[in-house]
Amino acid sequence: MYDAPRIWNLIAELTYRCPLRCPYCSNPENFAAIRDALDADGWGRVFREAAALGAVHVGLTGGEPSTRRDLAAIVRHAASANLYPHLVTAGVPLGAEGLAPLCDAGLRSVQLSIQDATPTASDAIAGTACFDRKLEVAREARRLGLALTLNVVLHRHNLANVGALIELARTLDADRLELANAQYDGFALCNRDALLPSREQLEAAAQVVTAERERAKRPELQWVLPDYFSGRPKPCMGGWGRSLLVVAPDGLVLPCHAARDLPGLEFWNTREHALRECWEDAPGLNAYRGENWMREPCRSCPERTRDFGGCRCQAYRLTGDAANTDPACALAPQRDAITAARARASNAAAWAYRGS
Amino acid sequence: MLVDVPHLEEPCSPADFEARLRAVGTERYHDKHPFNLRMHQGRLSREEVQTWVRNRYYYQTRIPVKDSAILAKSGDSAFRREWVQRLHDHDGRAPGEGGLELWLRLADAVGLARDQVASLDFVLPGVRRACDAYVDLVERADLLTAVAASLTELFAADIMGKRIAAFERHYAWVDAEGLGYFRARTTAAPRDAAFGLDFVVEHARTAQDQQRCLDALARKCEILWSLLDAIEAAHRKPSVAPQVMLREDAERPGHLLAVLPERGVRVSESGREILQLCDGALSSEGVAMALRAHHPDVPHLSTDVHEFLDQMEKLGVVVRDV
Repeated sequence: MYDAPRIWNLIAELTYRCPLRCPYCSNPENFAAIRDALDADGWGRVFREAAALGAVHVGLTGGEPSTRRDLAAIVRHAASANLYPHLVTAGVPLGAEGLAPLCDAGLRSVQLSIQDATPTASDAIAGTACFDRKLEVAREARRLGLALTLNVVLHRHNLANVGALIELARTLDADRLELANAQYDGFALCNRDALLPSREQLEAAAQVVTAERERAKRPELQWVLPDYFSGRPKPCMGGWGRSLLVVAPDGLVLPCHAARDLPGLEFWNTREHALRECWEDAPGLNAYRGENWMREPCRSCPERTRDFGGCRCQAYRLTGDAANTDPACALAPQRDAITAARARASNAAAWAYRGS
Repeated sequence: MLVDVPHLEEPCSPADFEARLRAVGTERYHDKHPFNLRMHQGRLSREEVQTWVRNRYYYQTRIPVKDSAILAKSGDSAFRREWVQRLHDHDGRAPGEGGLELWLRLADAVGLARDQVASLDFVLPGVRRACDAYVDLVERADLLTAVAASLTELFAADIMGKRIAAFERHYAWVDAEGLGYFRARTTAAPRDAAFGLDFVVEHARTAQDQQRCLDALARKCEILWSLLDAIEAAHRKPSVAPQVMLREDAERPGHLLAVLPERGVRVSESGREILQLCDGALSSEGVAMALRAHHPDVPHLSTDVHEFLDQMEKLGVVVRDV
């Protein structure tokens, strides 16, 4: 029926455990109930199967991957499967001393999260004191010759600090800085009134980014106007089940981090099925592949080959039906969901940490 | 380099305007470009001297084209009588004469095959863009600003003197017979510049015209500068970036995938051949030359190699060191 495309990129969610408690965490809300079901050899099998399906790159993420004691063994499996091992970490409990063993195991690059530009502000969002140790990890990554990306999730309370964040990334000699505007799913959706910025904040930050890009080549700055404000939906995961595959800590094979919460979709588990079957045949993976599922206005829209109708999870969360057009699109019938949310956001709104 | 000429609101006096024109050169003329500084200090390698001679020839070939365009803009016989002299200087009155011929003698003297230089086959893409941008600038400009753009000649006599001294002192392997072009310019450039300067000062009377002349001259300096940037870049040594993982592309036998932290780049078979030579020992130009020796019949090979390496550098696949 449908010819499954090549996997390019595997996202390996090694665990949902994390010492941080960021209020925009993208893990499922019931993360604590999802256990780590794959040991290092189990991940090794997943990596080899993914490589056989075309994958060239694996993001080792979570939760916090360094909460796993067998992380070095997992990295070694990734490297020997001929995947490019990329670690997505909060820097704790990893610590600077934790990097060299991973480097020896074949790690090529590190994406380190920071929450803001100063220790106080960053630790306040993380819900734990960790900023200084993160900087040590960044310096050690450079010393070891690893590629270094810094990632900051942006929201109402740190957008004003984009200039300082760029300066920090420059001081740390990062290759890239991802200025990642929060995506309002999961915990971020619960805290949306407190986190969603104003248009003025975004425009001011965008100007800083433009000026800094002209000023220096490094670090490479990644900045995209968030979908709540651009009027265009994001091409979520490059299209559902199109090139990117998530394997969750319990072995469930998903098209994105959040899809397990969509009702009525059946995904398969890599402990029970070959990865190829999970990718090609699981009903959930095929539910929104291609264009047959689309309704108007997506079905006849010339943008559908570029934005794939936006994010299914966002459509479900905001409209109750994942097959609706993502309300982030200015053409979406349920567009009000976005405009109302923008109007509700305020500095007065309170937010809650993940898992509290 | 950014063009940032102070803005004129009132017209300046002729003397003041001339001083401002000269200030543009003091600030931006390519005698201060690191490549020229190294040339004059005797620090260029033989390969670098050759690349410069080979590429700068393309600039020389554009000069009479540019001067023909300027001639065609003037309705004044006296102006044309003067300006046509430049065509004779460059093209000569007979085959085997003129500035272009003198440049080919320089090519002989630095050990290049003159046919190869004259073929323009090895012109770097960045040099070609810079020279074409100059012709384009002149073709679009009115007569006044086209002449103003040529006023880099005001600063040329000085650089020619430095160049002759540097070649005699530091590059003894270059036959002194080859320096005829520079010697000819030490006398022709001041004469040409004096005429151009008088013309510009006399005809640029409003603040707006004066500003346009200053801008055109600054733009010309920028073009000369970028020409040397391109030559310098061609001598940096490419190697595959340490963070890149190169692997076979399962879908396309013979092709490579360059995997980086944030992207994968497909590399064709010919790209693969180029990357294999990027060992950090050869310069980009050296890579282009080596491939040329392997594939003597492929057209535009040198251009393709440099453009490929520029693109790979932008994508983070290749880094280049001096």
